[in-house]
Amino acid sequence: MGEPKMQPPGVRVPNAETFLPLSRVRTIMKSSMDTGLITNEVLFLMTKCTELFVRHLAGSAYADSFRQQTGETLKYEHLSQLVNKSKNLEFLLQIVPEKIRVHEFQEMLRLNRSAGSDDDDSESGSESDE
Amino acid sequence: MVERIEDLNLPNAVIARLIKESLPESASVSKEARAAIARAASVFAIFVTSSSTALAHKQNHKTITAKDILQTLTELDFESFVPSLTEDLEVYRKMVKDKKESKASKKDTSTSENPNASSTAAGEEANE
Repeated sequence: MGEPKMQPPGVRVPNAETFLPLSRVRTIMKSSMDTGLITNEVLFLMTKCTELFVRHLAGSAYADSFRQQTGETLKYEHLSQLVNKSKNLEFLLQIVPEKIRVHEFQEMLRLNRSAGSDDDDSESGSESDE
Repeated sequence: MVERIEDLNLPNAVIARLIKESLPESASVSKEARAAIARAASVFAIFVTSSSTALAHKQNHKTITAKDILQTLTELDFESFVPSLTEDLEVYRKMVKDKKESKASKKDTSTSENPNASSTAAGEEANE
């Protein structure tokens, strides 16, 4: 793998180099149900697209929280805030949930129970499928 | 098949670098935020793959194509990715074509490596 040059943000030169390992992206793609053959071209595109997504997610979370400021630290909360308000990031709601405090959680549980609904499997580890 | 769940993780160093490049110079990123972004990226790849597969199947295609992915991205509200990806794809296609041509021009050299022999090996090769 060649060393792709660092680029100033905003300036983008189209290129056929990928940062992420193609083999790993292939494994990830295969883990999705009934994915058929994966051509090299499709693998390349998915890898590029995942890289773009990482940049997009980090960049927007930062820009949203700090505007023009520099030198700040991007934290988990900034990500979950972004995920919470962006329609196209809805699929991440269970992956990057907003953190709550233990006593808030207990309060939630209590309210749930007293509301009479006994379907309390909604709050724990539901990250298996999708 | 995925044997271990870690096989779905993307390499930390690469993720860290991509993040750094998309933030202002002096900004930093917490460990937890980086881990969340890495996880999100894996899920994104699975999400786009399965959506593209569904789209391909709907059109009675067995295999997903680059077009399916680009169309899926638009449907999933990531159409801002499409122009850059289209450009990259053009460069990639040209590179593959050039490679093929240069290979054909010096056919007499060893034929030991066949890019279609194993799909995984072929994937690695395209990376060079």
